[in-house]
Amino acid sequence: MNALYGKYGQVASFFVVYIGEAHPSDAWQLPENLRAHVVFASPADFKERSELADICVVKLGIKVPAVVDRFDDATETAYSGWPDRLYVIDADGRVAYKSKPGPYGFKPAEMEGALKRVLARPIAARFPS
Amino acid sequence: MNVRKTTRLLAALAIVYVAYLAAVFVVMRQPPERFGRIMRHVPLPILMVVPVQTMWNIARAGDLRVGDSAPDFNLPRSDKSGDVRLSALRGKPVVLVFGSYT
Repeated sequence: MNALYGKYGQVASFFVVYIGEAHPSDAWQLPENLRAHVVFASPADFKERSELADICVVKLGIKVPAVVDRFDDATETAYSGWPDRLYVIDADGRVAYKSKPGPYGFKPAEMEGALKRVLARPIAARFPS
Repeated sequence: MNVRKTTRLLAALAIVYVAYLAAVFVVMRQPPERFGRIMRHVPLPILMVVPVQTMWNIARAGDLRVGDSAPDFNLPRSDKSGDVRLSALRGKPVVLVFGSYT
């Protein structure tokens, strides 16, 4: 995702939306996360979620700016973003691409194709009068 | 084994399998937190006889469709350098990457 951000970061805005944990230690812990020492309990409040988001961004070297969903999960719910999912919103604020739900549906290359199509739209179509 | 017995056995197996698929689907439809709490007790091999991916795609399809107006949000940045409002980003496409560390 960093590579795509580097490639398109000037012509599109990119945001990670940090949502509830997919595999916290107090729910469905995965062996691969244990091996990688990515072991975190579910954050108890927004402050903890925000701190975990910060740790994630630093540890994974994520260059895409990240925002943190509030503790009511309102944004996750509106977008059905859990456990992970990609979207492209066009310049008019409409959904141009919605990936299938992760982990299977998380396909950056597919998202890139959609982003290219949105960027290739003529200006008149991108800004209807 | 005669034909009638075999048919009955197959029918019984089919009913059990469909009931099993329905149960998995109901679990997949649960909110993330409850889904995770249930799945911690489920041995993964159990899912090998289930079309997991297809069912997951349907269970977590969500209501938002391509062409819909993207629901607005105003969320704080993880580095606490301020908030981001989606509707303020018009004029450029926006890529959203939903996810978590784990």
